[in-house]
Amino acid sequence: MRKPDLNVRIAVTGVGIICSIGRNKEEVWRSIVESRAGIGKLTRFPGETFPTDIAAEVTDIRIPIAKRDVKRLSRTDLLAVVAAHEAIEQANGGGKALPVDRAIVSTGTSTGGLLEGEQYYFHRIVVGRRRAAASRVLQQPTSGPSDAVARVFKLGGGVISNATACASAGAAIGMAADYLRSRHADVAIAGGSDALCRLTYSGFNVLQAVDPQPCSPFGADRKGITLGEGAAYLVLERWDDANARGAKILAEFCGYGASCDAHHPTAPAEDGRGAELAMRAALAESGAARVDYVNAHGTGTLLNDSAETKAIISAVGPTVPVSSSKSYFGHTLGAAGGVEAAVTVLSIMNQTAPPTLRLNSAAADCTLDYIPHTPRPMVMTSVLSNTFGFGGSNVSLMFKRA
Amino acid sequence: MTRVAITGIGVIAPGAVGVDAFRALLRSGKSAVADIARFDTAGLSAHKAALIREFNPREFISPMKMRRMNTLSRYGVAAARLAMIDRGSDPLTSETGVAIGTAFGPVQTSVDYMQEYVEKGAALAPPQLFAESVANAPGSHIAIENGLRGFNVTVTQRESSALAAAMYASSQIVKGNLRAALTGGVEEVNEMIFSVLDRIGALAHSNGVIDEQSRPFDRRRNGIVLGEGSAVLIIESKHASPPYAYISGFGIARDTSATISDWGVGHEAVVTAMRSAIEDAELDPSMIGAIYASANSSRRADRLEYCAIQALFGDRVPPVVATKGYFGEYAGGGALQLTAAALAIDEQTLHASPGFDDRDDDMSFDATREQRDLALDHLLVNSISAGGGIVSAVLSRKAA
Repeated sequence: MRKPDLNVRIAVTGVGIICSIGRNKEEVWRSIVESRAGIGKLTRFPGETFPTDIAAEVTDIRIPIAKRDVKRLSRTDLLAVVAAHEAIEQANGGGKALPVDRAIVSTGTSTGGLLEGEQYYFHRIVVGRRRAAASRVLQQPTSGPSDAVARVFKLGGGVISNATACASAGAAIGMAADYLRSRHADVAIAGGSDALCRLTYSGFNVLQAVDPQPCSPFGADRKGITLGEGAAYLVLERWDDANARGAKILAEFCGYGASCDAHHPTAPAEDGRGAELAMRAALAESGAARVDYVNAHGTGTLLNDSAETKAIISAVGPTVPVSSSKSYFGHTLGAAGGVEAAVTVLSIMNQTAPPTLRLNSAAADCTLDYIPHTPRPMVMTSVLSNTFGFGGSNVSLMFKRA
Repeated sequence: MTRVAITGIGVIAPGAVGVDAFRALLRSGKSAVADIARFDTAGLSAHKAALIREFNPREFISPMKMRRMNTLSRYGVAAARLAMIDRGSDPLTSETGVAIGTAFGPVQTSVDYMQEYVEKGAALAPPQLFAESVANAPGSHIAIENGLRGFNVTVTQRESSALAAAMYASSQIVKGNLRAALTGGVEEVNEMIFSVLDRIGALAHSNGVIDEQSRPFDRRRNGIVLGEGSAVLIIESKHASPPYAYISGFGIARDTSATISDWGVGHEAVVTAMRSAIEDAELDPSMIGAIYASANSSRRADRLEYCAIQALFGDRVPPVVATKGYFGEYAGGGALQLTAAALAIDEQTLHASPGFDDRDDDMSFDATREQRDLALDHLLVNSISAGGGIVSAVLSRKAA
C-alpha cells in the first residue's frame, strides 16, 4: 500500500468553527482579541440539577443551508454541518472548486448524538420500546457528523469517524493528513464536533472534575474543567493541488504525533510521559527547529495542567509561551482538537497568541509563560496544538505560517 | 510496494473463543446465530442474534481489573491477550499502536449510566460507568494491559469500523513510525440497539415463508442478524515466522446519494473503493482470487455490492464468500470478516457462505456453497456502511 509521503506538504485552505464565543471564525477571533469568554449558567437541561451549574454553551445555531437538508440531524451533526459549511465556503472562495468526489470527511466526536439518545431513552421509559420514536436514537452513532457533512456537501471520497474521547478531533486531523499524503484522498474536511449531553455533564461532575467557577487553566486556584460544546473543521489539501486550484493557503499542517499513556482509564500519567511522546513525534515529523507557541490542552484539572507543563518543558523547553483557549470556550470534548486547531490557525494568521483568561496567579507546579489575560502579538512560525483524552490518548498537531 | 504482515490473531467470536475454534467454526459451514436469552424479545419481529456464550473473562483478566471494564473492554482485552499469545516470539515493544473499530460502541454502558441517572440523580451516578462510557475504553485497556504507548485510536464508522481501523493502523506501519500495531474491533449486542433496529425493519425475521436467518446474497433475505465479540490482529512491518497474510492495499469511497440510514442508490462508489484498493496493492482486478464480501443479508446493500462486483469484474467474477451468515453483521466491530479473510489466505482455503441458497435474478454469480482448497494469492475484503461509507482492503499471501 502507498505510504504517507512526508515530503508532501499539506495546506490548510479553509477554517470553520462554532463554539460558545462565536458562530464563525470572525466572531470567535473578535472574542479572543477582546478577552471575552463564553461561559455562563447551564441552560441546556432545564429542570435537572447538577452539582455545578455553569457551561460554555452554543446559544445560537444558524443553519446555513436548506432546512430539508438538515432534517433528522442531531445537535452534534448540526454543529458539524455549520462549521464544515464555513470551512468549505472559504476553501472554495478563491480559485477552482474543490474536487468533492475525492474529498474525505474525517471527524472526531466523543458522544455523537447521545443527547438525542438520552431523549429517546427518557421517552422509552414513559411509553415503552414499541412506541418510542426510534428516529431519535438513529442519530446517536458517532459516525453521525462525518456522514452528515458528507451527505449535505455531497462529498464522495469516503467517511472516517473516530471516537477517541477528547483526543478525537486531533486524531481526525492527523489521520486525514496521512490519507492526503498517501493519496487515498485529494481533499480532507477534518475536525470534530460534540454537543453537551447529560451523560457528559453528569459524568464529569461525579468524577469531581468540574470547576464550580469558570475554569482557570494553570491557575493556583484551579479546580477542574468547564464543559463546553462546539465544532470545527479544517479543509486540508496537498500544497501543490491547492496552488494549482488557485486557493488561498492559510497555514501549513506540517506534522503530528500520537501516543498513549498506557497508564489509567481517565487520569493522565503524572509525569506527562505520553504527552511528551506525542509532542516529540510532532516535532520530529514536522522537522521544525523550534516552537514559537503551544496551544495547550490546558483543561484546568489539577493533574492535566501539571503533567502537561512537565511534558512541554521536556519536549519543547521552559521558555515557550503557552496558553489554554479552553479559558474562553471550555472543554469541547471530542471537538476540542478541532476547535483548538482552528484557533491555532487563526492565531498564526493574525500573528497573535490567545491568552489564558482568569490566570491571576499560576500554580506552583505550572512554571511556564501562560500569556495571562490579554492576547500577545508575536512572531509565530511553528506552533503546536495539544489534545489529550480519556484512556491516555494524546495527539499533538503542528502548524506553520504559510 | 509495501505490505504489512498479520502476525497474531485473537478472537472472541460467537461460537468460538480463540483462532483455532474460529477456524473450526468457519470449516463447519454452520451459522452461530441462535435464539436470544440475554434479553426479552417479546413483541419484536426478530428473536435471534450471534452472541458470545462460551467466553469466561476470568480466564483473561484479574477480578480487580475486571470490575473496571465493561463487556466491550473485556472482549477487547481478552482478544488482544489471545493475539499476543498467538503471535508468540519476543514480546512487542511499548512502541506499538492500537486502532480498534466499533460500530455502536458502549451503548449498553450509556444505557446503564442513564438508568442510574434517572434513579439516583445526576450527582450520584457511578463514576466507573462514566469512565467506561467512552468508545475508546477497550483500546485504552488494551494499551494499559500490554504497555503500548504508540497511537491509540478508536474508529467508529458503522459497518466499516474495523476495516477503517485496520487502514489507519496499516498506514502508520508503512509510514515507518512504528513497527507494530494491534487492530481489529469490538462489538456488543444489546436490547436497545436490537429493539431499535427491529423497529425500523432492519433485522431478519420470520415471515411465514422463511425462518429468521442471515442470508447474504440470497434472494429471500429480509434483513441483517446482529453479531458481537472481538477480533484483534497484530500487524507488523518485520516478523520472524511466516504471517497469516499481508495487508497490501486499501480503498475508500462514499456514495453521495446515501441518506442517514441507507446505502445510496448507485453502486459506482463501491466500484471506486474496490478499484482503489486493488490499485493501492499495485494489482489489477484479474489478480484477485476471491472476494470476502460485505453482504449482510439486507435487501439493498447486498444488491449494491453484487452490482458493483459485476461492474468491476464483468464475466470474470472470482469466487465470492459471504461470511456474515456465520456470525452476523458488526461481529467484532467488523473484524471477524477481516479475520476470516486472513485465515483463507493462511489456509489457502475458501470458506462456505452459510445462509446463501439462491441468488437474485439480476445477480450473475453464486456465493460459495462449500469450503474448498484454492490457491489464493490475493483477495478483496469489502465493507459497505449505511450512510454511504465504503472501505475495501486487499490481503495477499506474499510479502511482495
